Amino acid sequence: MEYFKNSLKSVLGAPPPGTQMTGAETVETLLARVSTSTLLEDRRDACRAIKALSKQYRLEVGAQGMDILRQVLELDRNDPEIIGYCLDALCNVTSKNILKDECENNANVGEQFSEMFLKNPENVSLVLSFLEEYDFRVRWPAVKLLTSLTNSRPKDIQDLILVSPMGVSKLMDLLSENREVIRNDAVLLLISLTKSNANIQKIVAFENAFDKLLNIISEEEYTNGDIVVEDCLLLMLNLLKNNTSNINFFKEGSYIQKLAPMFILPDNLEEVGWSPQKISNFHCVLQVVRTLVSPNNPAQIVTSCQKTLRNANLLESFCNILMASGVPADILTEIINTVGEVIRGNLTNQEYFANVLAPSNPPRPALVVLIMSMVNEKQPFTLRCAVLYCFECFLYKNEIGQELVVQTLLPSSTGNTTVTTGQLLCSGLFSNDSLSNWFCAVALSHCLIENPSQKEQLLRVLLATNLGAQPVTLLNQCGVFLQHTSKLQAKLGILMLISMWMAHCPAAVKIFLNVPGAMAFLTAQTSASEFDNNEELLQGLCAFIMGLCVLFNDNSVQNYSKENLAQLIEKRVGLETYCKKLSEVSRHEVYARAAKQPQIKAKHSNELLLEFEFCKLFKVMECLIIQALGVQRDLSNGISELSLSEHENALLLQYKDLIRDQDKKLQDLQKKYNHLQKEFNELKAQMEELQQTNTQLVDQNTLLKAQLSAGTTQVTNIIHEIQAPAPPPTVDSQPVFIHGNNDALLERIKKLEADNERLEKVEEELAEKTSEIESYQRDQDDLLQLLTFQDTKLNKFKERLRQLGALPHSDESSSDVSDNEKDKESGPSLL
Amino acid sequence: MSYAYLFKYIIIGDTGVGKSCLLLQFTDKRFQPVHDLTIGVEFGARMITIDSKQIKLQIWDTAGQEAFRSITRSYYRGAAGALLVYDITRRETFNHLTTWLEDARQHSNSNMVIMLIGNKSDLETRREVKKEEGEAFAREHGLVFMETSAKTAANVEEAFINTAKEIYEKIQEGVFDINNEANGIKIGPQHSPTNPSLPGTGGSGGSQGSGCC
Ligand SMILES: Nc1nc2c(ncn2[C@@H]2O[C@H](COP(=O)(O)OP(=O)(O)OP(=O)(O)O)[C@@H](O)[C@H]2O)c(=O)[nH]1
Ligand SMILES: [Mg+2]
Repeated sequence: MEYFKNSLKSVLGAPPPGTQMTGAETVETLLARVSTSTLLEDRRDACRAIKALSKQYRLEVGAQGMDILRQVLELDRNDPEIIGYCLDALCNVTSKNILKDECENNANVGEQFSEMFLKNPENVSLVLSFLEEYDFRVRWPAVKLLTSLTNSRPKDIQDLILVSPMGVSKLMDLLSENREVIRNDAVLLLISLTKSNANIQKIVAFENAFDKLLNIISEEEYTNGDIVVEDCLLLMLNLLKNNTSNINFFKEGSYIQKLAPMFILPDNLEEVGWSPQKISNFHCVLQVVRTLVSPNNPAQIVTSCQKTLRNANLLESFCNILMASGVPADILTEIINTVGEVIRGNLTNQEYFANVLAPSNPPRPALVVLIMSMVNEKQPFTLRCAVLYCFECFLYKNEIGQELVVQTLLPSSTGNTTVTTGQLLCSGLFSNDSLSNWFCAVALSHCLIENPSQKEQLLRVLLATNLGAQPVTLLNQCGVFLQHTSKLQAKLGILMLISMWMAHCPAAVKIFLNVPGAMAFLTAQTSASEFDNNEELLQGLCAFIMGLCVLFNDNSVQNYSKENLAQLIEKRVGLETYCKKLSEVSRHEVYARAAKQPQIKAKHSNELLLEFEFCKLFKVMECLIIQALGVQRDLSNGISELSLSEHENALLLQYKDLIRDQDKKLQDLQKKYNHLQKEFNELKAQMEELQQTNTQLVDQNTLLKAQLSAGTTQVTNIIHEIQAPAPPPTVDSQPVFIHGNNDALLERIKKLEADNERLEKVEEELAEKTSEIESYQRDQDDLLQLLTFQDTKLNKFKERLRQLGALPHSDESSSDVSDNEKDKESGPSLL
Repeated sequence: MSYAYLFKYIIIGDTGVGKSCLLLQFTDKRFQPVHDLTIGVEFGARMITIDSKQIKLQIWDTAGQEAFRSITRSYYRGAAGALLVYDITRRETFNHLTTWLEDARQHSNSNMVIMLIGNKSDLETRREVKKEEGEAFAREHGLVFMETSAKTAANVEEAFINTAKEIYEKIQEGVFDINNEANGIKIGPQHSPTNPSLPGTGGSGGSQGSGCC
């Protein structure tokens, strides 16, 4: 700081003793110097000082200096040093971050200055053109300024880059920079620029981004490299995420093969270990692989990427890492997820995976080892989730795989003493760990998806419960366990398994109906009127299972025929309650979360309640069940209608009409409600927008005020200056010159003449400033008027919202209004 | 898969002239009867053989709508070949060729090979632009010309392959600087890095498993 003051002194000349310049005044003087001085060196020194002040006094520099700095960029572009200072200053001014020594009020100042700067598209072209300047003092700050602008106003700059010819090209050339600082900052800039803009992503890819990034990555020794490797991978991720065209390009350009070296683990890994940076790099490259085969991508792309990953031996590498020792848990988790998505729905890859053996003694299938960790309470939660997901991916559209797992449970399997997947799942299903129960139930249910024959096969599975007791079937045991366990998670898991099993499988329904107490349990749950804490899910699922028992009932159990069950629901539960219970499920946020994507995503184990494939089943079956119950009723009515008397019949028809009317009314009301809801949302959005404009206006107001006050001090200064030089004070204050020779005196006179000239200029400036102030005042008035106008509009909207019943007549809204009034009052008083 | 050269193409021309259909016919041998308006740019690729050399074509199909014009411009510089397409049943698409050509010439590298294509030749009854007019325009501006049908696939292969031949010849003549990636040409990897014929099943998994510990 001291150094800084000294250098400032030398730029400004020593201030008259006794007067202390404020920061704002200093900025002002410096800016005046920049815009008026005819000497490049003068301007350069001033710019250097402005750059130094631009953090602490960014409001002043931005408000008064934006145009001046821009002028320098245009006029002094041949001097790298001054351009560098200007770019740096602008970078500070437009920064989104709150700078050191800055108050919180300036929170969105950077964004506003960025917006101001970007209003003129020429400015972006100008800054882009500095990227072509080789001089480090220019190129680097230009990259930084673009980054700052992008972070503050991403959309604006994205749009501008798209229309500026060769804009992206210029940025891409930076990736071949040999000065690493610039190259690395360019990567960061591109990361921000490509965020959620498919067009820029595609152009960047077209400009050979993948080649360039992979070059950098290989130069930096792949995953062993420093943070720039991670940044390159993050940029790749941006280019590929949800961008089918780029994924296709990535695959067609053989870039998948070029990822291979990233997955080679060194032989001495156990000695060197995993540094935090290596873990991050590895994590990122796995994300890149996963975006290629994400279940959200079109199936055709996924399949061809999966094939390429196998052919390039990457699947093999993943499996090697999976089975290697010393891999950190979070990497292992991500590898498991990756393997899952690389094999999901791809028979060849699934087969390959089924044959991977773990290096244990004796060798066991990798699948078995994975399931062992899934049912192991000591393993990290996310790892267990990943295993389940991977297992699901293995079974997805894989009838052979499903059969393979179910077979390991069947009594016929020949005296095998080794542990099997099926056995692990069965013991996990009824263990004391409710999370294991849930995992295993879901895993087993995936063996049954769209596979009628495995549903039948699984019915044959017998379990020995107690010593000496009769063995019971697996389904029977599920029904018993359901009634005994007290844990919600376990219950829901079992219920999901049972539903998957019974859908389209009357034989399973038959066995389940015969489980002692099962139907009573379901009925009790379904008709319960109270619930706490997610129990509505339990009740809903019980209702769902009752429905499935109606749907897939072959009338082979005496007391529980289709009709009996339908009546049970109608009489004991009531159709209305029943439907409400069902809809409780699909409305639940747990359901919405699970239905979003196949991957099991949860932070805590108690969040795991419903699962993706179950949600799909529920969605389809819910309608069918409701239909079936309705049809059932009509059918029984139909039969009895014949036996009704004419009077009764008329009554019936009357009621039917009544119901129809009510139904119609209901629908109309529903429609109206939806309409109002929409209107309400629109109004809300409008109001928010208005509020935003309002704050923006207030901010602009502050800014203008700052400019105004700055303008005023400037004027006063100028007035002082005009008044001051009337007597020639220079003679007294600098006697050194008097003692000098004639030459010095002559020079003095010349200088005075120059001073005179300057005075004239200053006077001119004064006139200019005065008119500027006037125009500011006019602007200010306009803004205030606009503000009042917006205010009235806002109030009108609020009134309308209130009329619509959306806003209560709360104090909140009225205090809002008074806030605005305060603003209005305080506005003019500051003038 | 290895290749001797990789060429980048772009397809340009008014909206609805059949650019996306030409690409689809070339890469997938399919025709898409519904106009699926291209938003921005879409990518496609295929391998061809010229002079018994494998050549990989990477093709960017651009959006013809005016709103996307500035985005399209970003693709000119890096392309080695361009298919400039008009619709023989809509004269205005032919009239716009001059604008397209100016745009292309201004933003591309000077060696870019441009193939002029009059598409929808199957719709003879609705023809508005004579074949001779297309030929004359091409001659005047030094372009290669061809009429195609993305529907019947007539001349589609030829259009893409002849463009490649032209580029290939220019390379042989030394006109193209193949080491400058900005020209839209890349030389293939000298040796194929991976072995694509590896059976990804069974035994190899087992041997891997025991080999890695
Ligand atoms: N009969 C016939 N119809 C064609 C032919 N080529 C394209 N079409 C039809 O023309 C329409 C437009 O084709 P597109 O390929 O989508 O047009 P485009 O040039 O990609 O249009 P933009 O994406 O908007 O620039 C579609 O309905 C096609 O079915 C052709 O050779 N013959
Ligand atoms: Mg198209």
